[in-house]
Amino acid sequence: MTQDTIEALTFDLQGETFALEAGYVREVLDLLPETPVPGAPAFVGAVINFRGRVIPLVDLRMAFDMAVTETTIDNRIVVIEHPLDGEPTLIGLRADKVHEVTSITADTTEEAPRVGMRWRADFIRRLVRRNGDVIVLPDLDQIFAARGQSAPVTALHTAQR
Amino acid sequence: MSGLDPIETFRQEAQELLEQVEQGLLDLARRPGDRALIDTIFRGLHTLKGSGAMFGFDALAAFTHHCETAFDRVRKGEVPASPSLVSAVLAAQDHMRALAEGTPVDAGAGEALLADLQAAIDGGDAAPAAAAPTAPGLNTFKIRFSLPADALINGARPLPLLDELRDLGEARVRVITDDVPPLDQLVPAECRLAWEVLLTTKHDRDAIDDVFIFVIDEMTLEVEDLTAAAIVEEPEVVEAVVVQEDVPVAANTPAETGRAAKSGDTVRVPAERLDEMMDRVGELVIAQSRLKQLAASSTDVALRAVAEEIERLASEMRDTMMVVRMVPIAQLFGRFRRLIHDLERDTGKQIELSTEGETTELDKTVIERLADPLIHLIRNSADHGLEGAEQRAAAGKPAVGKIMLAARQSGAEVVITITDDGRGVDRARVRAKAEENGLIQPGQVLSDNELLQLIFAPGFSTAAAITNLSGRGVGMDVVKKTIEGLRGSIEITSTPGEGSVVSLRIPLTLAIIDGLLVRVGTGRYVIPLATVEECVELTPAQDLRSTGRNLITLRDELVPFLRLREQFKTGTQPDLHQKIVVVATGQDRVGLVVDQILGDHQTVIKPLSSFHADVGAFSGATIMGDGGVALILDIPALVSLGQRHDAQLRAAG
Amino acid sequence: MTAILTVDDSASIRAAIKIALTGEGYNVTEAAHGAEGLDKASAGGFDLIVTDLNMPIMDGLTMIRELRQRPAGAGVPILFLTTESDADVKAQAKAAGATGWLTKPFDPEQLVRVVKKVLAK
Repeated sequence: MTQDTIEALTFDLQGETFALEAGYVREVLDLLPETPVPGAPAFVGAVINFRGRVIPLVDLRMAFDMAVTETTIDNRIVVIEHPLDGEPTLIGLRADKVHEVTSITADTTEEAPRVGMRWRADFIRRLVRRNGDVIVLPDLDQIFAARGQSAPVTALHTAQR
Repeated sequence: MSGLDPIETFRQEAQELLEQVEQGLLDLARRPGDRALIDTIFRGLHTLKGSGAMFGFDALAAFTHHCETAFDRVRKGEVPASPSLVSAVLAAQDHMRALAEGTPVDAGAGEALLADLQAAIDGGDAAPAAAAPTAPGLNTFKIRFSLPADALINGARPLPLLDELRDLGEARVRVITDDVPPLDQLVPAECRLAWEVLLTTKHDRDAIDDVFIFVIDEMTLEVEDLTAAAIVEEPEVVEAVVVQEDVPVAANTPAETGRAAKSGDTVRVPAERLDEMMDRVGELVIAQSRLKQLAASSTDVALRAVAEEIERLASEMRDTMMVVRMVPIAQLFGRFRRLIHDLERDTGKQIELSTEGETTELDKTVIERLADPLIHLIRNSADHGLEGAEQRAAAGKPAVGKIMLAARQSGAEVVITITDDGRGVDRARVRAKAEENGLIQPGQVLSDNELLQLIFAPGFSTAAAITNLSGRGVGMDVVKKTIEGLRGSIEITSTPGEGSVVSLRIPLTLAIIDGLLVRVGTGRYVIPLATVEECVELTPAQDLRSTGRNLITLRDELVPFLRLREQFKTGTQPDLHQKIVVVATGQDRVGLVVDQILGDHQTVIKPLSSFHADVGAFSGATIMGDGGVALILDIPALVSLGQRHDAQLRAAG
Repeated sequence: MTAILTVDDSASIRAAIKIALTGEGYNVTEAAHGAEGLDKASAGGFDLIVTDLNMPIMDGLTMIRELRQRPAGAGVPILFLTTESDADVKAQAKAAGATGWLTKPFDPEQLVRVVKKVLAK
């Protein structure tokens, strides 16, 4: 593993902590009025008005088979600029709660285990252990390409390795 | 309240505050961690101290100060609200009451109380430092300063500062405009000026710092003491006229880059400038739309008048900009007739060019840049696409080959297609060429689309038969690059033996849509006005009658309709008076059933991300006056859907 | 006529400021806390705002920050009242968008002097 450190913004979703490279993050907003897009998958079921641009609102909970719970005052929208189908795109991500920007060093990270994971392994870039907790670095390229479609974990996963 | 004597008001206020603090303390004794209580107590003590000092109750102020400091530390979490602390302050209440009323107090008692307080918190406090003034004599300073860019927004004003300097003594002021950007890049609310002041004064350096006391932390300030040096002449210190306060410093700048325009002359303006201006115009349209909404719900006549005026100006501005930039593609298509004529002569083939959508408008510069690629694509069709007369006859095609150029606006894009009815793309030959030129591995698996895209790959067209028509150095890869340079995309579809279609998609830099705003359920949607034929009512009776058979008779014609409520799965109940908006593309029509028609709406089209671009029913979005988002309906898609449903129903009989 | 808004939860301070500034020919409007101050200031029309920081309902820092984000709030000089010379408070208030300050206690002359300092003449 390489010895580089990344600055990442950490946030919670249904009890799990995720981290995003701070370089992608444009802004963190309080919840805004959203406009549902009929016919769009729940993963990206709505759009919001962000400074005069209409940007998609992505719910990563769909990609990780998480329950959708009531909104609280801690909920935020993390606006990132990330490639989508090759084009840099502004995208809003729902977060239950946003934490500080923190340094993550590569020597504390591990690859996602192939066996026994309840999530799609290719949706996860790395896992980081910190203070007994696990922080998930999602692979946004994969997640976006798959439009958040998570496959059910079957015996096939264990057989693959 | 404020007509009274402030001191009397204060006395009353003090009593109330002390009451409040006392109650708070008593509650706090029972709930020591209660933040709200701590805040209230602190605030009360703070106000008591401040107001006391204001109105001459120095003793009270001084005494309360200690209590306030103690509670500040509690508030900051440095010290807990311990029982001894609470009781110490409580005990002090009577003393403070007496001080506020002006009844004589025992100084010793006061001391004792404070000692208890001190014991309870165990802290010290700092005494405020005092600054010292200094000495006279006549000094000369060279002062150079600039303010931060956001100074004006935060209320700072350069002129009063200069005036204050002038008040200090004899001053000569020179403005420095080095950092001012050219007029077209200028942000009026930003301060980019700097000043140099030569000041002769009997005050010292501190007085100068004092002038800038409010901005000293954020500004740049250089003060050079020139007292020793001779201060006689200072040529070229120009007393610049800095502009009147209200108008942001922009107006005085050395504006143009030299190429001023008189009416009638033309001006060359970099495209980026126009792009920015277009963006501003787009934003202006949105903001003006909000203003219109606000004014409509206001009873302020003056406001409404101004809002109308601004609407007129914004509209004119938009039209002017559009005229400046947007140009119908007809002028481009017009050039191609001559081209076809030449091609016919050169190839010996008979070619008919037809065009569609000539009124579709595009950016002027975009049109310029499309000319060459389109010429090449047409040549390509004529050259490689269309077969010779005999082959066409053999294939049962009419002798005259057809090339059709079509343009249409789709959401925030213009789609231009070049269709020919020739032989289509020979996949095998493309494959062979690609392998030959090392673009793909032999046996590499490719989808049909990927294979066809190879035609645009660099290195593909360096191939064999370069006829003197297409071989002008404008290969297909250059075409693709040019289109992508316009942030567009290019695609080929083709049916062997029947023909090919090259599609170009070019985004519009400023697409303003005239639309009909409608409500379906709780969502708002925009229907491009150009597609709307008419609106009719759908009575509840009709609604009931037509379930399962969504057709309505319109002037003896059966028109299928779509219930958008169902289409969008709103889950809401239909309005009592639903409306059908009949829309059409070409010859096909469909009725869209909506809950309410909200009115005309004109605003800038915002593109949807690729997450939503293929959802099907929507071609873009717009931002409403209230900041909300309305999705723009993709009428051709909905019309096809309607037609399909209709066909299914007819088939089902 | 120069219009000044004074925001303070202490009625006596508001009275004192009003008297001092009306004497100079200014027109003074009062607000008893940050929310009221924000409301009144957002409507525009004030040449200067003088505000306390510690107030119930909405404190001064929040009011200043909010106000600066609104069209009516950009460019208006805002003075805040502070006791002694608390550097932290001053830095915070300036960061929130305040223009300058006035130290408590102050007498009418001091008030007028500082007001004149920030008012565009």
